[in-house]
Amino acid sequence: MAERVMLPTERLEFSAIAHRPKLELPDGARLVVWVIVNVEEWDPTQAMPRTVLTPPAGGAPMSDIPNWAWHEYGNRVGFWRMLEVLDQHQIRAVLAVNGSAIEHYEPIARAALDHGWEFIGHGFTQKSMQKVADERADIRKTAAVIRGFTGEKPRGWLGPGLTETWETPDLLVEEGFKYVCDWVLDDEPVLLRTRTTPIVNIPYTQECNDVAMMLIQHHKAGEYYDRAIDQFEQLYDDAARSARVMALVVHPYIMGAPHRLKYFRNALTRIRDHRNVLFWTGGEILDWYLAQRSAC
Amino acid sequence: MLCEQPSEVTMIPRERCAYSAIVDRPPLELPDRNRLVVWTIVNLEFWDISRPMARQVLPAPTGQVLLPDLPNWAWHEYGMRVGVWRFFELFAGLAIRPTLSINARVCEEYDRVARAARDAGWEFMGHAWEQMPIHKVEDQAEMIAKSLDVLERFAGTRPVGWLGPGLTETEETPDLLAAAGVKYIGDWVYDDEPTEIRTAHGPLVTLPYTVELNDIPMMLVQHHESAYFTQRCIDSFERLYREGGERAKIMAIAIHPYISGQPHRIKYLEAVYDHINRYAGVLHWNGVEILDWYLSAKATS
Repeated sequence: MAERVMLPTERLEFSAIAHRPKLELPDGARLVVWVIVNVEEWDPTQAMPRTVLTPPAGGAPMSDIPNWAWHEYGNRVGFWRMLEVLDQHQIRAVLAVNGSAIEHYEPIARAALDHGWEFIGHGFTQKSMQKVADERADIRKTAAVIRGFTGEKPRGWLGPGLTETWETPDLLVEEGFKYVCDWVLDDEPVLLRTRTTPIVNIPYTQECNDVAMMLIQHHKAGEYYDRAIDQFEQLYDDAARSARVMALVVHPYIMGAPHRLKYFRNALTRIRDHRNVLFWTGGEILDWYLAQRSAC
Repeated sequence: MLCEQPSEVTMIPRERCAYSAIVDRPPLELPDRNRLVVWTIVNLEFWDISRPMARQVLPAPTGQVLLPDLPNWAWHEYGMRVGVWRFFELFAGLAIRPTLSINARVCEEYDRVARAARDAGWEFMGHAWEQMPIHKVEDQAEMIAKSLDVLERFAGTRPVGWLGPGLTETEETPDLLAAAGVKYIGDWVYDDEPTEIRTAHGPLVTLPYTVELNDIPMMLVQHHESAYFTQRCIDSFERLYREGGERAKIMAIAIHPYISGQPHRIKYLEAVYDHINRYAGVLHWNGVEILDWYLSAKATS
């Protein structure tokens, strides 16, 4: 790379949340919740991104049919349960989608489009951005596939597994993206400097995220509900002085399993009971945040 | 053998079966307005003491792999000596005849256990010769044939179903299984319904086995408390039972005597069946019964 890389601390200064101008939501709302559904395609000829079952006596033999199939269940069955739950709560979710998944799981993309969800780029395949041969081409190709399917350029990006190279924010801006979600460092959106114009980071979550909770920390399914509500209640309190953003992250192969779905549904029901809570897409959060910034 | 080298073109999963969203398929119906089939699978394995153990409850101090690995061999052996008899008692009391996923070598090494399953009328399903990843088997076709032959001689009928050890398959396994006359497999845990996949020797049915309601991922990989087995099974059951009002659902429960047959776990397994049996419209079928129903339901739809 010709240019010197920017360190995270060069992209934004440290800032204490208590010392910033107040952010205000319309109509007295305190808090925005956004729901991100991650739809991925796992290449059966590669090692699986996650596993539920290790082979007898260990190792990682290829092909890995059981773990491929376990993930595939989410797209064949689990997604459709989630769609029903989001419909019941009248929530337009954000589909973070691998570019390749749009073609291979066309019925899912079609359903998301028909329900007014926002599409954001999530890599062309489910592979670390540090292992992608040509990062710019991967970003560009993903954006093109989404645009081809939805008719609109995607505005948001989430790295596969939140991975970035030193250059990712620069490339995203140059390829037309307006916000990124990989920087889980705040409860408010922030601006990141790039070598051209800044990009907004919207608070995503590794905490209320079924991959981290169920596959890494091995919690019971009910912990998704408990943690989501604990998170919500604290942020709702915090939001008395300035607006807050809360993310809820799900994957069809995890929370879409029959034994887990109700904990996702019950969390949404409980949060929906609060009148001054908004359910927005990432694009809506972006527009609001930019308007707030220009107003102050 | 027809060929020395793998002359067949191997298929990746997508070539065996196109993506299909469950909501786009016509619903399957069970007889007599039943909603749900519970498919119980008991796994019996042979762990060769001369090799690393298939699973470990206790890694050796400093994490080294020791051979022989006596404590983990013995932990598994407990299931055959003690744990499995708790299963036989439970299922006899419930009048349920599970599917037995059995390493064929068990018929020789644990004849007493295999006889008890046969005499109780359990279905014998092929589960390889012994417990090791199928990728490490030198001659898969030979191992499959030998396993099915031994099970046929022992049980009196040739197995119709197959489950890979740890659900493992190489790219050619479905072709080899279909060539050997196997009609269904459990390795493709990708749906709530049976499906058909393509092989070089005609279609093969996948039955919805489980890595969710399965004591290996739950207890040995995810390290859940014993009681969570009941909770997860009931949560699944209630969801699938509700969905079963619209389209037939199958719920598999996969257990191993060295795990769920432990004194501290058996009551949580019993509690699952206590709960399920309070509901009307639930069938307890084995793999062959599910296969036969699926094939006739498909033929008439």
